[in-house]
Amino acid sequence: MSTLPFGPRNPPEDPLLAKAAELPKDVVPQRDLWPTIAARIAEAGASPAKPVFRWPLALAAAFLVASVSALLTWSLLRDPQQANPPVIAEASTAGVEFVPVRYGPNSGVSATELAARDSLLVEFKSAFATLQPETRDAIAKNLAVMQRAADEIDAALAKDPASGMLQGMLAGTYKQELNLYSTVVTARDGLTRRT
Amino acid sequence: MPAPQVDSSAELVRRACQGDMGAFEDLYRQHIGRVYGLCLRMTGQPESAEDLAQDTFVSAWRSLPGYEGRSSFSTWLHRIAVNAVLARRRSPQGRNEISMTEDSGEQMDFEAEGRMDEATPIDVERAIASLPPGARDIVVLHGIYGYSHEEAAGMLGVAIGTCKAQLHRARHLMRARMGTEHAT
Repeated sequence: MSTLPFGPRNPPEDPLLAKAAELPKDVVPQRDLWPTIAARIAEAGASPAKPVFRWPLALAAAFLVASVSALLTWSLLRDPQQANPPVIAEASTAGVEFVPVRYGPNSGVSATELAARDSLLVEFKSAFATLQPETRDAIAKNLAVMQRAADEIDAALAKDPASGMLQGMLAGTYKQELNLYSTVVTARDGLTRRT
Repeated sequence: MPAPQVDSSAELVRRACQGDMGAFEDLYRQHIGRVYGLCLRMTGQPESAEDLAQDTFVSAWRSLPGYEGRSSFSTWLHRIAVNAVLARRRSPQGRNEISMTEDSGEQMDFEAEGRMDEATPIDVERAIASLPPGARDIVVLHGIYGYSHEEAAGMLGVAIGTCKAQLHRARHLMRARMGTEHAT
């Protein structure tokens, strides 16, 4: 049996947490799961997969997301009096469409987080329709970069599902996506107030 | 200062990496209780927990060559299990399962069973099961399995502050539901 410790390393001050720490760590499933696991492993191949180091790709994708998003944020927030107007109040439905990032089966982005994004997307959609075509194009390209990053990281997570670093990178991509939507909505609201 | 612990899984991991299924089955026998317990407590659904425990061990087998021993094998397995749970929640099937406990903090059939007077272990287990997913996750990882806020935040992919806030929320909800608001 494993000799690793479980339970809080320092006794919890809260009596409820102390009770929680006393709960049995092991819970035996009602049936033996090993036969199914063994069959699935045999199906996939007898030997553990050789490690595939996709981190450099995933890192590059994550870096690209941060760089491009920063540029877009600057483009959206710069003073409209000094540059080509990044956003306009006139609504337009023609031109580029955007596709929200799809997170793969290994990503671990929760339903709650996706619901929060969906909520923000409602506002973003109306703001997106008011943007100049080139700004919309930049946003669509940003989202494509984020999609690529999410795909790369998801693929890397499939090979290394316990990697906290990859999980952190994926969470970063999710935050970048939200920041992008939020930046557009905030910029639209700011310009609406100014005009 | 606790004495350093030795991971008895190390030799089994080494053999399993070389394709020894017998060694991997031994690892399964050693760890299935904790992995299943974690999945069951995070999902509240025995059938889902069985699926997720299976997914965890299949993923672990595939990823064994990438296990570098920087964390204990148990912790590594738990990370995989947590990722599997979070990925399932995000799936359409998982979204339906979450309906058992809404994130508003309400629990569907908890009130019908009446309040409990004392915080016996079984009552604590039920109170944890009644928590909304985010709060439940941190109580399970931090409260039951003893991971630090930093470790739990890393596993869940959230900020440490979020973990602490969720724990605070969980404690409040548990006290209210167990009728011990003024007893602690």
